[in-house]
Amino acid sequence: MANLNLTLKVWRQENAQAQGRIETYKATNIPEEASFLEMLDIVNEGLVKEGIEPIHFDHDCREGICGMCSLTINGVPHGGKHVTTCQLHMRQFKDGDTVWIEPFRARAFPLLRDLVVDRTALDNIIASGGFVDVRTGSAPNANNMPVRKKTADAAFDAAACIGCGACVASCKNSSAMLFTSAKAAHLNLLPQGHPEKNKRVLAMVRQMDAMGFGNCTNQYECEAACPKGISVDNIAKLNRDYMIACASEAVGVFA
Amino acid sequence: MEYGYSRKDVIALMNDIITTACKFVTSSIGRKILVALTGACLLLFLVGHLAGNMTIYGGNPGAGEPSWIDAYATGLHTMPAWLLMAIRLGLLAILLVHVVLTLVLKYENVTARTHYQKEGTLKATLSSRTMVLTGVMIFCFLVFHLWQLTVNGDPHDCYNHIIAAFSNGWCSLFYIVAICCLFMHVRHGVQSILQTLGLATRKVRPLYNLVAVLFAIVVCGGFISIPLAVLTGILK
Repeated sequence: MANLNLTLKVWRQENAQAQGRIETYKATNIPEEASFLEMLDIVNEGLVKEGIEPIHFDHDCREGICGMCSLTINGVPHGGKHVTTCQLHMRQFKDGDTVWIEPFRARAFPLLRDLVVDRTALDNIIASGGFVDVRTGSAPNANNMPVRKKTADAAFDAAACIGCGACVASCKNSSAMLFTSAKAAHLNLLPQGHPEKNKRVLAMVRQMDAMGFGNCTNQYECEAACPKGISVDNIAKLNRDYMIACASEAVGVFA
Repeated sequence: MEYGYSRKDVIALMNDIITTACKFVTSSIGRKILVALTGACLLLFLVGHLAGNMTIYGGNPGAGEPSWIDAYATGLHTMPAWLLMAIRLGLLAILLVHVVLTLVLKYENVTARTHYQKEGTLKATLSSRTMVLTGVMIFCFLVFHLWQLTVNGDPHDCYNHIIAAFSNGWCSLFYIVAICCLFMHVRHGVQSILQTLGLATRKVRPLYNLVAVLFAIVVCGGFISIPLAVLTGILK
């Protein structure tokens, strides 16, 4: 297996206020089995040796489950291979390729440094209603609460969202509908989340609007970019649930 | 008190309804739903308009006999004047809600985004990315169309007026270009309405896409056929 030599076009920006720019770096002798983040580690080692500030980027578990890694690769979050950047391997690239690396861009994701953005806006949406008020204590018995298999599957698929923000970064309108709808759907579908369904939907949608995300135009870029394959069916469900929740609120079904 | 409601209860309920309605029409999803519903109304209008237009293929018998389309046009005008005006104002209101809300949403979308140095697109269709552009084109066309055939039209001489208008190649070309924009707008619009109203799932979404394309082909093909028929001399 031949190692790769790539040209990287990387977004560099010292801090939130600084003027950002694209810098060109050579990535030489990159093993094909390296992940994209390991490739950046190798490049950074070279930069440190040359006395240049290494490229700052987000990462944590490096096994595709934490949602911390980001990076927009050639204009597509996570590179568009249905995996997270940490699981994207360099064998997906060809020797001599030019690779554009930019942060997840959206007004609601303020840039902190280089490729690192602040995704607190997503946490704020969760905090507004993406939870259930349940008693704590020992775990309930399995199958104590019957759930239809299809419903359980749909809820589990929605719950696979790792909150990385690729949906927002890929959206032409920087809308957070896929994230919000997945987080709302996985609770709304299940009996455990049912009592607070309307309250949750209204709170999460209003919080989403308040965070300055754009509005969904049904282009489904989010679904295509999502490393976890979250379906836009969740968005249709959120639209339905929102209509019902508004009607309930208007006639005072719940306080 | 008679019905179990005190005056205070009624005011509280009205307050709740108005408060929620205000929140609905200022929320992202609420405005999208209004755009979808008004879009659906406009699609229904297109179908009705197309059906009426097709009467032009009834031809012109001449010799004092009214042509089909003249009979259809005068038939429309036999309804009371207030009703005709109410329908026109209703359509105008629907159109304005559709256009104004879309432009506001678009403005928010543009400000919500910061641009990539290298843009990438995975599956967003060209028609979905040019909705505002095609929409503005259709609006400009609509103003011209109403000025040409409604303001300056005569329901008793509809047939000759249309033939005269489309005999001008530039006029026909403008119509055809505008209807092509309508095709793109409707092609994304139909399936987008169904998604926004929460009626789409993974199973039926490909079907909706097909329905959207077929609908756009039938409606826009029907409209385009008229200037083409005049230019090629099928309609004289």
